[in-house]
Amino acid sequence: MTNKMKFLLASCSTVALAAAASADTVRIGITQNNVGIDSYQTTYEQAFIAAAEANPDVEVIVLDAGGDVARQISQVQDLIQQNVDAIIIWPTDGQALVPAVRNAHREGIPVVVTNSNIAEAGMEFIAAFSGPNNIQQGIYSAEMMCEALGGEGQIVQVTGMPGYTTAIERQKGFDDRLAEMCPGVTQLDIQPGDWNRERAQRTMETFLTRFDRIDGVYSGDDNMGVGALNAALAAGRAEGMVFIGATNFAVGYDAMARGEYWGSVYQSPVDDARAALQTALDVLAGEDVPKLNYFDTPKITQENMDQFDRPVF
Amino acid sequence: MLLTRLKAGGPAIAKQGILVAFVVFMIAFSLMSDRFLSADNIMSVFRQSAIIGVMALGVTIVVIGGNLDLSVGSMLSFATVLVVDLHDKIGPELAIPVMVLATLCLGAINGFLIGILRLNSLIVTLGMLSVIQGLVLIYSGGQNVDIADQRGTWFAMFGRGAVFGIATPIIIFGTLAVVFHVIMTTMPFGRHVHAVGGNPTASVFSGIPRSRVVFMTYLISALCVAVAAIILGSRVMGSQNNVGQGYELQVLAAVILGGTSLLGGSGSILRTVLGVLMLAFIQNGLILMGQPYYTQWLVTWAVIIIAVWLDVAAKRGRLFSPIA
Repeated sequence: MTNKMKFLLASCSTVALAAAASADTVRIGITQNNVGIDSYQTTYEQAFIAAAEANPDVEVIVLDAGGDVARQISQVQDLIQQNVDAIIIWPTDGQALVPAVRNAHREGIPVVVTNSNIAEAGMEFIAAFSGPNNIQQGIYSAEMMCEALGGEGQIVQVTGMPGYTTAIERQKGFDDRLAEMCPGVTQLDIQPGDWNRERAQRTMETFLTRFDRIDGVYSGDDNMGVGALNAALAAGRAEGMVFIGATNFAVGYDAMARGEYWGSVYQSPVDDARAALQTALDVLAGEDVPKLNYFDTPKITQENMDQFDRPVF
Repeated sequence: MLLTRLKAGGPAIAKQGILVAFVVFMIAFSLMSDRFLSADNIMSVFRQSAIIGVMALGVTIVVIGGNLDLSVGSMLSFATVLVVDLHDKIGPELAIPVMVLATLCLGAINGFLIGILRLNSLIVTLGMLSVIQGLVLIYSGGQNVDIADQRGTWFAMFGRGAVFGIATPIIIFGTLAVVFHVIMTTMPFGRHVHAVGGNPTASVFSGIPRSRVVFMTYLISALCVAVAAIILGSRVMGSQNNVGQGYELQVLAAVILGGTSLLGGSGSILRTVLGVLMLAFIQNGLILMGQPYYTQWLVTWAVIIIAVWLDVAAKRGRLFSPIA
C-alpha cells in the first residue's frame, strides 16, 4: 500500500486519534472468533489490519481463536502478559470469556468486546462493546416487511441457527416490531435454516407445500434468504412474494438488483472492524465512551441500493 | 406371543422392520396433514433427500466393510466449494472432472490410512473431517463462492432440472442406488466387502485382498460425495465453506436406520434408501404439522434408537437381553 493511500485511509477512518494519540504508540491486542470460517470474519480481519496500518500511532497484535474457547482464554492471558494497552475480543462464547475479561480488568487493561457481546455478568469488566445491534436489525426488517406488504398479508420466517445470540435477537426484534406495527400481517410459521442456504431452501420448499398463500418471507440473513428465494422461483411462486433479509450478502444484493428480493439490512464487516478499533482508541484517549457502541446498519432496499457498494461477501 | 414370534420369524422381521416402521409413519403423517401425501410434496421430499441419500449409499458400503466415514460432511463442503468456484473460472465441463478427481484423492487418503496402514477408521476420518475443513478454508480464504450466471449455465440441470417430469437429483439417486445394490448383492466385490466387514481375518485366509477392498470402499464413498456436491452446487448455485457441516451425522443416521450393522458385515443399500427417505419424511412431516424444530431432533433420534433396538432384538430373538 502506498503512503498516499495510507494517508487517505487514515484521514477517513482514524483522523481523530491520529491527532490525539500524539507521540506514544499504543499497543492493542485483538483475539478474534474464527477467521476464515466465513466471508464476514475474513473481511473483518483484513479491514482491521488495514485500519491499524493506516494509523502510525497504533501497533496491533492480531490473534485468532479458531472458534476454540480455551484457546481464546489463553490468548487473552498472553495479551495480559505482554502488557498491551487494550484488548479487543470477539467472543467465541460470551459466557466462558467472563473470567478472562475480569482478569484483564483487574490488571488495569481495558477490554473492548466486538461484534457479539459478552454475557451480562461480564459487562461490569469491559470498557465498551462495539458492534451491530441485532434487535434493531430485526426491527428494521419488520418495518420493511410491513411497508412492502401494505400492512396486510401472511408471512413465514426462516431463522438462523437455534441458540445463537444473533439469531435470537434478530427474531425477537422482528417478531415484537411486526406485532406492534403491523397487526394485519400474520406469521404462519417460524423454522430454522441454520445459516445454511440449502437448509433454508428445504425449509421454504416445505412451507410452499404447506401454505397455499405466502405473501412474504423474512430470513435471518441473505444467504438463507436467497435459498428461500430459490425455492419459490423453482415452484413458480416467487412473483409478488416479498423477500426481506438481514446482513446483506452479495447474492442478496444481486437478487435485489434483479428485482426479486425486496430488502435487507446493510452490515459491513469493514465498518464493524473500524468501529472496534476506534472504540478502543477512544477508551485509551480517556474519552467518555458509552458502554454500548452500535455502528450503523441501515436498511437497504431496491430503491436505495445504489447508495451502497456491493458487499464483498 | 411377540417374543416367540420374534424368535420364530426373526430374520424376516429383521428385514422388514424398517419397512413396517416406514409405512406406519407415512400413514400417521398423512392422517395429520392432508398435504403430506400430495404428489408435489412426495417429489419435493425425494428431491431434498437426494444429497444425503447419495452420500449414504457410499457410507453404507464403507460400514458394511467394517469401517466408518465421518469425513463425508467436510468432504462435501470441499467438493461443493471447489466445483462452484471452478465453474466460473474454467467452465463446468472442466470443473466437474477436476473436482471429482480432487475428491477421489481425499478418499484415497482415507483408504490408504485405513485400508493399507490399518489405522482405526473412527480416528482417521474424524481427523480428516477437521483436515478437510481446514483445506476448504485455505482454498477459499473464508469467502463464499457463487455462480455468477445462474440462469444460463447447463450446470443447473443436476440440481434443478428434470427428465420426463422427474427431478434430476431423484434420477441420479435412484440410478446410483440400483447400481450399488446390484454390485453389493451380485458381484464378487460386494461379497468381498461383506466378508471383510464380517470377519477380516477369515477374509484374508480366504484369499480376499482385504486392504484393496477397504481402499475401494473409501474411493466409492468419496465418489458419492462428489456426485452429491454436483447436485448441491447446482441446486444452490453457490456454497459456504461449511455447507456440509453436520451432514456426516445425518448420513450415518440414515445408514443406521436402514439396519446396516456398525460392526460391519451386514447391511443393505436398498434399506439405506428407506432410512434416508424415512428421515426426510419425518422432518418434512413435522414441519407440515407446524411442529417446532426441536421436536424434529427429538423424534428423529427417538426413531433411530427404537429402530436400532428392534433390529438388535430381532437378531437375538428377544426384546430384553443381558447378553446379546
